[in-house]
Amino acid sequence: MTAAPGMRDLAHRLLTYEAGAGKNSEPIESPTLRVYEKLRRSLGEFVGVAGFYSLASRALALATREAPSLNVAQLSGDGALQGLGEIETQIDMNKDRAGEGGIILIARLLGLLRIFLGEALTLSLLRNAWPGEVFDDRNSVHGRKA
Amino acid sequence: MSTQDKVKINKLRTGVPGLDEIVGGGLPEFSFNIIAGAPGSGKTTLAHQFVFANATAERPALYFTVLGESAIKMLRYQQQYTFFDPAMLPGSIRFINLSQVVLEKDLGAVLEQITKEVEKANPAVVVVDSFRTMVRKPESDMDLQSFIQRLALFLASWQATTFLIGEYDEEELRDNPIFTVADGLFWLRQTAERNSIVRKLQIIKLRGQDSVPGLHTFRITDAGVQAFSRTFGLTARKRNPPSDRRLSFGIAELDKMLGGGVREGDSVLVAGSSGTGKSVLATQFIAEGIRQGEPGIVAVFEERPQAYAERAASLGLDLETPQKDGKLTILYLRPLDLSVDETMHSILDAVQKIGAKRLVIDSLAGFEMALSPGFRADFRESLYRMIFALTGIGVTILSTVEVDESFTEFPFSTYSISFLTDDIVRLRYVSIDGQLRKIMVVIKMRGGNHAKDIREYEITDKGVVILGKRLTNYQGLISGIPVHSDRPDSTEEPSLDTGIEHKT
Repeated sequence: MTAAPGMRDLAHRLLTYEAGAGKNSEPIESPTLRVYEKLRRSLGEFVGVAGFYSLASRALALATREAPSLNVAQLSGDGALQGLGEIETQIDMNKDRAGEGGIILIARLLGLLRIFLGEALTLSLLRNAWPGEVFDDRNSVHGRKA
Repeated sequence: MSTQDKVKINKLRTGVPGLDEIVGGGLPEFSFNIIAGAPGSGKTTLAHQFVFANATAERPALYFTVLGESAIKMLRYQQQYTFFDPAMLPGSIRFINLSQVVLEKDLGAVLEQITKEVEKANPAVVVVDSFRTMVRKPESDMDLQSFIQRLALFLASWQATTFLIGEYDEEELRDNPIFTVADGLFWLRQTAERNSIVRKLQIIKLRGQDSVPGLHTFRITDAGVQAFSRTFGLTARKRNPPSDRRLSFGIAELDKMLGGGVREGDSVLVAGSSGTGKSVLATQFIAEGIRQGEPGIVAVFEERPQAYAERAASLGLDLETPQKDGKLTILYLRPLDLSVDETMHSILDAVQKIGAKRLVIDSLAGFEMALSPGFRADFRESLYRMIFALTGIGVTILSTVEVDESFTEFPFSTYSISFLTDDIVRLRYVSIDGQLRKIMVVIKMRGGNHAKDIREYEITDKGVVILGKRLTNYQGLISGIPVHSDRPDSTEEPSLDTGIEHKT
C-alpha cells in the first residue's frame, strides 16, 4: 500500500515551498528535513516528544517499505530525523529519487495525522506552520484536494 | 458598601447545556476550578466544552496535557462531539504537552513552563489535564501546597479562568490542599445501578455566587455533557401569585363539583382503577383547554400519540388539528435508561416551547415504570420539584394514577404522591343492583370549595357523563359494596365543602 495521493500531493507542496524558502537560508538543509522539523516542532508542542516520536517512527517504517532508500534514516530519542541528509543534499523535487523518498515520508506522517485527527484538524494544524497559499488547490500539481 | 461599590464578577458561559443555571448564571471569570471524578465520568469533555465556548484568537485557551490520555487520541475522540470546531485549533485553542518536563524535572520547572506559555499566549482559559498526574510525586506536602498556591495566584493574576482536571476520590476532599485553594469544585460521579448508568454532577464549592445545591443528573451525548438542574432551570422565575381563575373540564357537572372548575395553577390528581375513565377525563380536560385557547401538553407512557389521538377522536375530540397548529404536543416518553430529571426536562421543554397552560401526565404509574430501576428512587422527589416549578408559573397539571381497587378500603393513591397535589378526584367501581357501575367524588381541593357529593357517571361516546344527582339511596358507596336504603336519589344541587383538607 502506498501513501495516499492526496497526502503525497500535500507533502509535495510543502517540500516545494521549503525548497524555495531554503534557497535563501544558511546552512542549506534538505526540504524534507525542513518540513519534518516544522512538523516536529508544531506537533511536538501538543503531543509531546514521546507522542511525536511514536508517530514519526510509524511513518518512517511505512515510508521505508515504499522507498527503501530511506532505510539509512533514523530517529533520535527526541524524534529528530538523522541520516537523511546523506542521500538528500541538493533536491530536484521532480527527478531525484531521494526527493521522492522525502515526499513519501512526509506523506506518511501527514497520512497518520489525517487518520487520527481527520482532514479538517490536520489542515488547521498545518496552517499554523505554513502560509495559506501552500494549501491553495491552485498550487496542487495534481489538481486535487489534499 | 453599596451595590455600586462592589466588584462585578463576570459570568462565563460554560458551554454545557443546563450547567449555567446550576452554577448560578455562568462560571465566575478568573476563577480557579477543579473538575474531579472517576475515569470516564466526562471531566475532559466538560472542560473541552468550556474551552470551545470561551476561547478566541485574541484570548485563546491553553490546554496543557500531561501524562494521561495522549493529545492525539483526545482530539480524535473529542472531535466527534458537535461542539468541537477544528478551525479553532491551534489559533484559538492550543494544546501543549508537558509530559517531558513533568517526567524529567520538578514542580518548579513545571510552573516555569506554564508561566512561560501563559505569558506568551495571554490566554482567557487554562486547562491542565490531568493535574493529578502532574503532581503525582511532590517531594513534600509543602512542595505541593506551594506549587498550587503559586499556580493559582499566577493564573488569576493573568486573568485566566482555570480548570484543573483530576481523578480524585472523595476521601481526599479533607486533606488535599488543592481543594482549599480552588474557587470552584465540580464533582462528577458515575455509578451503575442495576443495569443502568447514573451520572450525577455536584457543585461542591463555588466562590462568589450561589449555585444550585445537590446532585444534578447529567448525560453525555454527541453534543457533549448536558446537565439537568434539579430545579429544572426555573429558579430565576418568580412564582405567580395564586390565581382565582377556574379552568373547565368541559363537563358542566364536574365543574360544579369542583366549585366552578380547577383553580389555575393547581395540580390535580385523578385516581382510579383500570377502566374507570382517568385518561378520558384527562383528554377532556386538555381538549377543553385547547377549545378555550390554552395550549396543552400530554405526556403519555402507555400508548403512542397516534393511538391517544384516535381514542380522543372516538369521543368526538379533535387532537390532530391542534397538534398541527402547534397548540398541543403529545409526548410519548419511554425513557428506558433516561433519568427522571431528563424526562421531566423533556416535558418542561415542550411546555415552554408552546407556552402550555395545561399539562396532562398520563399516567404517573406509567411514568415511573418507564424509568429504569436505578432512577425510580428519585421519582417522587423529582416529580414534586417539577410540579412545584410548573404550577408556580401558572401551568395547571392533571396527573392520572392507577390505584388498586379494594372493596374494603378507599385509597387515594398507591404512589403516596397525594401530598403534591392540590386537588384529588377519585373514580371507582361500585357494585349496584347487579351491575359494576362507576362513581366519582372530589376528595380534596386545596383552598377552595368543592362538592361532597358522590356522583355516578358513565363513559359514553361523548366522554365522561355524570348521571343524575348524588346517590342518596345507598349507604357505604365508597366501600364499593353499598347497601341500598329507602331514601330517594337527591334532587338537591351539589352541596359544597369548605375546602378543608382531608388527611391523605
